[in-house]
Amino acid sequence: MLDTKSKSAKIRNLVIYCIVIFLGLICLLPLVNILAISMSGSAAVTANKVGLTPVDFTMTAYRRILEDQQFWRSFGISVVRVVLTLVLNLVLIIPLAYVMTRSKREFRARNIYMNLLIFAMLFNGGMIPTYIVVKELHLLNTIWALILPGAVPVFSVILLMNFFYGVPKALEEAAIVDGASQLQVLIKIMVPCAKPAIATVSLFSIVGSWNDFLGGLIYMQKVKDYPIMTYIQSLSIDLQELVNSSMNSAALENIAELSNKNLNAAKIVVAVIPLLLIYPFLQRYLISGIVMGSVKE
Amino acid sequence: MINRKKAGALLLVLSLTAGLTACGGSEKGTADQSTENAENGERGTVEISIGRQTTANPKFPEGDSYEDNAYIRMVEEELDVDISDAFEADSGDDYNRQVSLALSAGSLPDMMKVATKDELTELYENELIADLTDVYNNYASDYIKSIYDSFGGRALEDVTYDGKIMALPATSSDAGPGMFWVRSDWAEEMGLKVDEDGDRCVTLDEVKNIAQAFIDADLENTGNVVGMTFDSRMTTNTSDTPFMMNAIMYAMGAYPRHWYQNEENELTYGSVTDEMKEAVALIRDWYEEGIVDPQVGTRTWDDITALVTKGQCGIIFGSWHTPDWLLNNVYALDNEAEFEPYVLVDENGKVNCTHYKATGEYLVVSAEFEYPEIAIEILNLIYDDMVNSDELLEKYPEVNTYLNTGVDGTARPFNMEVKSNTYLLDEYAQLKAALEGTGKKEDISTAEERSNYDAIMAYREGNEDVTGWCKIHSRCKGVDLLTYLVDKDLYNWISPIYPETTTTMETNWSNLQTLEVESLIKIITGASDVDTGFEEFRTAWYDQGGEMILKEIEEQIAE
Repeated sequence: MLDTKSKSAKIRNLVIYCIVIFLGLICLLPLVNILAISMSGSAAVTANKVGLTPVDFTMTAYRRILEDQQFWRSFGISVVRVVLTLVLNLVLIIPLAYVMTRSKREFRARNIYMNLLIFAMLFNGGMIPTYIVVKELHLLNTIWALILPGAVPVFSVILLMNFFYGVPKALEEAAIVDGASQLQVLIKIMVPCAKPAIATVSLFSIVGSWNDFLGGLIYMQKVKDYPIMTYIQSLSIDLQELVNSSMNSAALENIAELSNKNLNAAKIVVAVIPLLLIYPFLQRYLISGIVMGSVKE
Repeated sequence: MINRKKAGALLLVLSLTAGLTACGGSEKGTADQSTENAENGERGTVEISIGRQTTANPKFPEGDSYEDNAYIRMVEEELDVDISDAFEADSGDDYNRQVSLALSAGSLPDMMKVATKDELTELYENELIADLTDVYNNYASDYIKSIYDSFGGRALEDVTYDGKIMALPATSSDAGPGMFWVRSDWAEEMGLKVDEDGDRCVTLDEVKNIAQAFIDADLENTGNVVGMTFDSRMTTNTSDTPFMMNAIMYAMGAYPRHWYQNEENELTYGSVTDEMKEAVALIRDWYEEGIVDPQVGTRTWDDITALVTKGQCGIIFGSWHTPDWLLNNVYALDNEAEFEPYVLVDENGKVNCTHYKATGEYLVVSAEFEYPEIAIEILNLIYDDMVNSDELLEKYPEVNTYLNTGVDGTARPFNMEVKSNTYLLDEYAQLKAALEGTGKKEDISTAEERSNYDAIMAYREGNEDVTGWCKIHSRCKGVDLLTYLVDKDLYNWISPIYPETTTTMETNWSNLQTLEVESLIKIITGASDVDTGFEEFRTAWYDQGGEMILKEIEEQIAE
C-alpha cells in the first residue's frame, strides 16, 4: 500500500484524486446541465444562457410532461418491456450457461453449441432480414417484437459461464453425492453462488432494454406503441434538417414550438429516473460480478 | 448526401421485393369480388391502409390520434372508407426507413408518400404503383387541376412517366428570396437609416455598413457583436433557407448549388462560376474586416440562434417565415426587439431569385389497390372542399376547430401542400384588406390567415403576445415585401434544373459537396488564396465527377 505519510505519496494521491474527480465531473456535468435546462425558461435556454444552475426557474416543463399522455403510455410500455425481457433473459441464460459449463463428457455437443453462440454474437442477420422474420411471425406492433429478438444475450451467457466455472467443483460434487439432481444443483448451488453475476447480467438486460430506441422505431409502426426511448428520440428535432426538407411554415411553427429544449430535457430527466433508482441496488454486484466472472480456474 | 444512401438502400430493397411480391399476390384473393361490386356502382366500405408521416408535435385534442381524428372521421364518413395506418413514423429518415422496410417485406400500403423522385422512379420501374392518369383526369376537381396548372406544367410533368401520371405531387410554391432581417429597434436607437431611399431594397455596401454600425454600437453591451454569420454549410439549393449566404451571392449573379442554363445556354453548376468566385472573394474581404463572424464555418444552428437571441447579432438572412419559428425567441427574451426585412439587389437594382422545384413529395397508390380514384377523392375533399366549401366545415365543426387550433397537417390521411404557386400573396392580400378595413375577416379564405388576423389585431390592441408579434413580422413585413417585389416588378427569376440523381452523382456527389464546402471555408477564412484556391476547387470539382455529371444531366434534359 501507499505510504500516506511521505510527501511524494501525498502529492501523488492528490494528483490521482484530481484526475478521478475531473473524470467524474466530465460524466456528471452534462447531467447537471440537462437538469438545469429542464428547469429553466425556454427563452434562456435558446439563448444558451443556462449552465449548471437554472435560469428563470420554472417547473412548467414538468407540468407539461404530467399532461403528456403518450409519454406515460410509452413509459408504461417500457416498464413492461424491461420486466418481461429481464425474466425471459434470466430464464433462458441461466440454464444455458449452466449446461455450457458441463464437461464435454457430460455434454457431448457442447462445442457445437458454443460455436453457434459465438457465431450469433459476432454476426447477425441485419436489419431487413430480421425485420422480415419478425413480420412473418406476426410480431410487428406487439411488445414481443421488442423482447424476442434479444431474448438470449450471448455476452451475458459467456459472463455467467465464466462465473459458474469459478464455483468450486467440490460444492457441486458434494451436492450430487447427497443425491441432488442437475436441476437442484443449478437452483440450490449455482444460482445462489452466482448472485453477483446474475445481478450483473440483470443490470445489462434492464439498461439495454430500457435504453434501446431503434427496436421501437423499426418494429413499432404506430406512435402510440413506442417505448419511452423511441418516443423521446422522436421528439429530438434537427430543425436545420427540417427546414431543408419541404416543410411549410405552419408545420415548422408546430415543430419549433416543441424544439423547446427545456421540455425535452425534462423528458430525459424523467426517463432516466428509473435507471438511477436501480443502479445503487445493483451496482455493488456489478463491480464484483464482472471481476469474478472474468477469471476462471 | 443522405438521399444518395437512401436511394441505394431502396435499390437493394427493391431487388428483394421483386421476389417477395410475387409470393404475396395471393393475399389479394378477394379482389375479384370487389371489382364486381364496383361495376355495379357500389363499392361498399373500402379499407385503406396508408403509410403516414408523423410529427413530434401533432397537437391533437385529447383522445384523438393519427388513426382516429377529425380529418380521418370526415374522410371516412364522406367517402365511405375505413382508414388505418400500415405504419407511422416521423417525417425524414424514420419514415423513409419504414417505407424501405415495407417494400422489403413486400407489403406496400395502399397509399403512401415518398420523399424523393428517385424513389418514385424506382417504384414506377418495378411496376409497384398505379397509373393515376385516368382517375386524375376524371375525378380531380377543377380547383385541384387549376392548382397544378398554376405551375405551368412544372408540377405534373415531374410525375409523368411515359405519358402516365404516376403520383400526385405536393406542390412547392416559390417563397421568394432570402431576406435580410435587421434589428430595426437598434437602427432606430442609433439613428441609422437602413434604407435611405425607402425602396426596401439594399445594396451589398449598405448591408456591410449596417453590420459595421451594429458591431461598433453594441447596444446590448454583449462585448462581442457578430456582424453576420452563416451556417457551416454556407449555401443551399433553395433560395430562402435561413443562415445561408445565398442572398449575398444571388446579388452578385452567383447561384450556388443550383443547376441552370447560363446566358450562353450552357448547363452550369452555380458553385463553380466566375460570379461565385467574386462572391466568395467579397465574403472573404468582409471576413477579414470583421464583418463576418470570425467563427464562421463552425457555428451550428443552435449557436447562431443563441447569438441572435442574446442580441449579439442584428442581421439574419432567411425566408419570410423566419420570425414565426426562430425570431420569436428574440422577442420572448426582449420585448423591445423589432425586425425589418429588406432584400438585396444586384447592380441593376433587381432581386435575383431561383424558382423552387415545383414539387415536393409524392403520393403514390399501390398497383394492387382496387380503387385508385379514392386518392383523388381524398385530395378533392381535403384540398378543395375543405378550403372552399363552408357547408363542409359546418357539417364537421370539429374539423374547423382543428384548423383554428393549428392541429398539425399530419393528421390528414396524407399531408401534402397542394396550393397554387401564388397562394402566399393571394392569402396575404385578403389578410391585408381585412386589417386595413377594406375587407372583412370573413372574406379571408383560410383558417390559418383568419387566426393570424385575430393574433395581429390582439397585438395591436396591446396584448404583447408573441404570436401577434410573429405574425406581424412574417405577414405584414415579410409577405408584404414579397408582394411589393411583384408589384414593382423587381424580380429577376432564374429557373434552375432539378435533375434526377445520375449514376455519377450516386458515387461522387457527397464527395463533391464536401469538397465544395471545405474549399469555400478555406477561401473565406483566408487559409487559401482566392484565385488559386478557387481555381483548384473548380478543377478538382470537374475532375472528380462534376464534368461527367454535367454530361449526364444534359442527356437527361435531352430525353
